[in-house]
Amino acid sequence: MATGTDQVVGLGLVAVSLIIFTYYTVWVILLPFIDSQHVIHKYFLPQAYAVAIPLAAGLLLLLFVGVFITYVMLKNQKVTKKAQ
Amino acid sequence: MTKLAQWLWGLALLGSTWAALTMGALGLELPSSCREVLWSLPAYLLVSAGCYALGTVGYRVATFHDCEDAARELQGQIQEARADLARRGMRF
Repeated sequence: MATGTDQVVGLGLVAVSLIIFTYYTVWVILLPFIDSQHVIHKYFLPQAYAVAIPLAAGLLLLLFVGVFITYVMLKNQKVTKKAQ
Repeated sequence: MTKLAQWLWGLALLGSTWAALTMGALGLELPSSCREVLWSLPAYLLVSAGCYALGTVGYRVATFHDCEDAARELQGQIQEARADLARRGMRF
């Protein structure tokens, strides 16, 4: 077995992914079938956010990846220009 | 058929089924709660695929075996290589 921080980080990732999955499943799949007067609806945002938040997060991720690639490419160009 | 073609085919099939159901093209009258679930289904599949990927990565990180002997042998070989190259004049 891996030791120390590796195990902690790995198990932490597993736990985070399970939490996100259960919360999102309840939000998207179970809530529409539960009577709107039930108290559990207090713990969840309106249904529209269930699509908006992952979409926004995905766009943010794409933006970050694009910026990173641009930065690396510009740095590479500057290095080759200096070498010439 | 290549893997990419298989994936695209499956995605196209699922996508067209979802589109047909949401636009009512099949003439089925689904209850409003089913329609709500159907509408968020693509986002749900994406999020669960991402969670599965994250969980698998985390699990593999946690259960990866350390190889103490191989690590020590590798370090020894690195030292040898550095000494050899330094002798031949390369500077680090």
